[in-house]
Amino acid sequence: MVYELSLNEKRLLVVLAELSDDADADEKGAEPILLGEKLNSSFEAVIQYANLLESKELCTVERIVSTYIMRTAEGEQYTIDGLPERQLYESFDVHIPMNELNRHPLAKIGIGWMRRLGWITIQDGIVTKSAAPISDLEQALIHINDTNDLDPKISKELLKRGLIQENEHVSYLIRITPDGQSLAEQGLDLREELGTLTSEQIISGSWRDQPLRRYDVTKQPKRIFPGKIHPYQQLIDEMRHILLAMGFTELHGDVIQSAFWNFDALFQPQDHPAREMQDTFHLAGSRSLPDRWEQVRDIHEHGGETSSTGWGNRWDPEVSKGIVLRTHTTCLSMQAIAQHPSPPHKAFCIGRVYRREAIDPTHTPEFEQLEGIVMDGGVTFGHLMGYLREFYTRMGFEAVRFRPAYFPYTEPSVEPEVYVEGLGWVELGGAGVFREEVTAPWGVSCPVLAWGLGVSRVAMLRMGLRDLRELYQSDIDWVKSYPLISTGGM
Amino acid sequence: MPIISLSNTYLKRLCGIDKEAILSVLPKIGSDIERIEEEHIDTEFFPDRPDLYSTEGVARAIRGYLGIETGEEIYTTTDSGITFTLDENIKSIRPYFGTAVIRDLNFDNDAILSLMGLQEALHWVLGRGRKKVSIGVHNLDVITPPFFYHAVSPDTSFVPLEMEKELTMREILELHPKGRDYAHIVSHLDLFPIITDAHDQVLSFPPIINGELTKVTADTKNLLLDVTGTDERAVTLSLNILCASLMSAGGRCERVRVDDVLLPNLNPSVRSVSVDECNALLGLSLTPDEMITILEKMRFGAELDPTQVDHVLVRVPCYRADIMHDWDVFEDVGIGYGYENIPSSLPSVATIGAEHPIMSALSRVRMACTGLGYIEVMPFTLTNTKLLFDAMRRPPHPGVLSILHPIREEQSVFRTDILPSLLDLLRMNKHRELPQRLFCVGDVVIHEQTLQKLALVSTHPGADFSESYAVATSLCHELGIEHIVQKGSDPAYIEGRLADIIHTKTQAVIGQFGEIHPDVLREFDIDQPVAAFEVMVSQVLYPFPERL
Repeated sequence: MVYELSLNEKRLLVVLAELSDDADADEKGAEPILLGEKLNSSFEAVIQYANLLESKELCTVERIVSTYIMRTAEGEQYTIDGLPERQLYESFDVHIPMNELNRHPLAKIGIGWMRRLGWITIQDGIVTKSAAPISDLEQALIHINDTNDLDPKISKELLKRGLIQENEHVSYLIRITPDGQSLAEQGLDLREELGTLTSEQIISGSWRDQPLRRYDVTKQPKRIFPGKIHPYQQLIDEMRHILLAMGFTELHGDVIQSAFWNFDALFQPQDHPAREMQDTFHLAGSRSLPDRWEQVRDIHEHGGETSSTGWGNRWDPEVSKGIVLRTHTTCLSMQAIAQHPSPPHKAFCIGRVYRREAIDPTHTPEFEQLEGIVMDGGVTFGHLMGYLREFYTRMGFEAVRFRPAYFPYTEPSVEPEVYVEGLGWVELGGAGVFREEVTAPWGVSCPVLAWGLGVSRVAMLRMGLRDLRELYQSDIDWVKSYPLISTGGM
Repeated sequence: MPIISLSNTYLKRLCGIDKEAILSVLPKIGSDIERIEEEHIDTEFFPDRPDLYSTEGVARAIRGYLGIETGEEIYTTTDSGITFTLDENIKSIRPYFGTAVIRDLNFDNDAILSLMGLQEALHWVLGRGRKKVSIGVHNLDVITPPFFYHAVSPDTSFVPLEMEKELTMREILELHPKGRDYAHIVSHLDLFPIITDAHDQVLSFPPIINGELTKVTADTKNLLLDVTGTDERAVTLSLNILCASLMSAGGRCERVRVDDVLLPNLNPSVRSVSVDECNALLGLSLTPDEMITILEKMRFGAELDPTQVDHVLVRVPCYRADIMHDWDVFEDVGIGYGYENIPSSLPSVATIGAEHPIMSALSRVRMACTGLGYIEVMPFTLTNTKLLFDAMRRPPHPGVLSILHPIREEQSVFRTDILPSLLDLLRMNKHRELPQRLFCVGDVVIHEQTLQKLALVSTHPGADFSESYAVATSLCHELGIEHIVQKGSDPAYIEGRLADIIHTKTQAVIGQFGEIHPDVLREFDIDQPVAAFEVMVSQVLYPFPERL
């Protein structure tokens, strides 16, 4: 058996072996104070070394707990001044009116006790002394240090009055085991061990003359964590990299948008419920309308030059000038299309969007949305499903299926669903081909495929979160310990 | 979206197939099944298909999809000889009107429930809570034509549905549950809309409540429908959907004369659509005949257009609210073909991906911060002035953006700085191990412009000015921010333990660093010193973003 012992453990073992030569001491065990004197170490250090030796079965450490009673500070004071009832008793002659006695600072405690002990009688509001022999409590309190076996009834009373307290005393007895004995007999190298290697020792080679302290690999180090990008941002970056690799250009833009870009350009009728105060954060102020706004008006009113009937209602430019916190990033895609009406164009955006929702575990008034568009002659609804399948597969979802859907600005529309173990088919975003009513005002003549995705939903699935707020009001320990490469989840 | 309750027995009777077959086809026609019960299936349909808000409408679609009965339903109407007169005084109040007579109904409980469900769903989806459209259904046999739609004094009284005594219309708004629910639509008016018969009996007080007189029961055989509203299109659609549904339930529809027009008009509208355009949109190669078959499955009338090559003449049923454009027809072709059958593939669009310069810069900022051992957090951008300014001992920023109708005071403005949110996160994580070093880089809004800022905080017993100075200097170096450091006076920091960062190029103060003031720490319930740094990133790492 080879033992890995530190120098301190070895020194303790040697002292224990010496002491055990004295058969009497061996039986009794060694006290840490005595060992400390011999080793020139503190009491606590001795216990620590002994515990290490005990873990290797080279010694045993017996922990002995005893209790004793002592006076509290209040009890000390009353030992000198007398208990409240005694002080009160001494404070008057034979008679005293009750209301006068009540004015004494100790009256509250003292009067009750005097009555209980039969020291006084009270009649017609007058307190009259009887005899006041030394009570059991007084007796016990004075002699508390001389005795260990206090009448339990009295000690209970003293404890209740807060005059005494029970203290614990812990002592240790350390005994060497036969294994320890025989190890010590074999002789131990008691040379000073090197802890931290110094530059001087490395250069001079003096480290060769001293043993290097060995470490216990079973003892865990203190955990440290690297600085870290938030797990949610990591997921966002993963999506960005997938789309960049698929040839998409990234968009970024203002969180404040005109109703024109946020709604009207997307063929949302001006009386659509989503535009109302209950669903959208409206802001004071307005923005001017861009060029070609008349085309958007015509589309809304009668379908412009397309085969559409339009909504048939009058379209109000003033409503369109109002500003809102963007409710989706589709408004950025629209502006990208308006600025680059000629194909090919592939763009995406991941950004925060705002909806007037009360906060609960699955809703937050702000959250991230992913949005992608593909504009080119000859692209089809089948290609849109191809892009969705490709994206979700790269995100690690193996099975993807498509269901009919409705969005005001796409036609045909589709809802992709992915299969998640344990949850089944989960709806994950919406997609479609931009309606001609959306693209025609900007002179775009080819189809524009578009899809959007709630990024936080993917985050919840990926990270196994049950509350969206975890993403925004994060527990730092969770962020710190969430590994960069996660083997769990999807 | 409203939840539509479909009776199993009724649906089975109308479709002629069993429950399992019904359940398998529902998702393919766009339904989201919410609940499957012994008696009924609760399902949602998209708001563009209000014609599917009745059991009859769903049965019609299922029969088509499964090929049990394809093509359009023909709605033959005859003239009832009944007239409805609209008074001039209603035209400025609730001007649009639709009506029809339905005869020979053989109502059972399922059919009545379906009709009531449809009425409610239409009130909600097309009617926007009865504002744009409201519907009345009356027992025709207890009233006498001709009928009148006009506006009267709110003191006019009648016995409303579910009540025993007469109330004035004004009282109805206060006392009747429906009156209270919808009072806001009419309460501002001087005259209230009313429908009466030849003997001045009250049929309805649209859009609030019908009269008790015309209440419909399982024994009712003949109906008069009234649809009133403020949106012509929604009124017409609601009327058409109701008539189509009641005819599917076995009723016969008769027209009513309203101001020289006969209503309802249940004729389909006709579109000539291009087969090529449809194929190009969906990525299919259907022949015109195949397209016609699919359209018939989706309950359109369809035939080759004799006047145009490769065009199909589509007769769009009167109940279809959503067909505004040829592509709406093509979507139905896609659904009829089955999304699962459309080949999905990637096109060869030659584009080169590119990061947005701002996102690319922010990625580098994150890299530098994590290199210094900081952990990223992503707090909400909506906050409040108490946290943003008062707790920070700072005066309110003149460029702060307020939300007009916040849900909660806590989230009533857009942040102008990120530092307060980081201090708030330190508060939430107070019980966690120290040191804590956090950063956030993201949007702020100042004077309506979206900009980006970076903020870092470090808290532990030794956090001090020197630490913040070291971090600020290191980050400015890594991010290429040329700057000079000057004594600062931001009250959020301890006087004499903070500095301003001046951008060399613009001479603008772009940030601060230092030790957070103890009064601020107490506001955030933080017990340890905090070293902090916040800097504007926009215009420093890249030009001010263009407004997009």
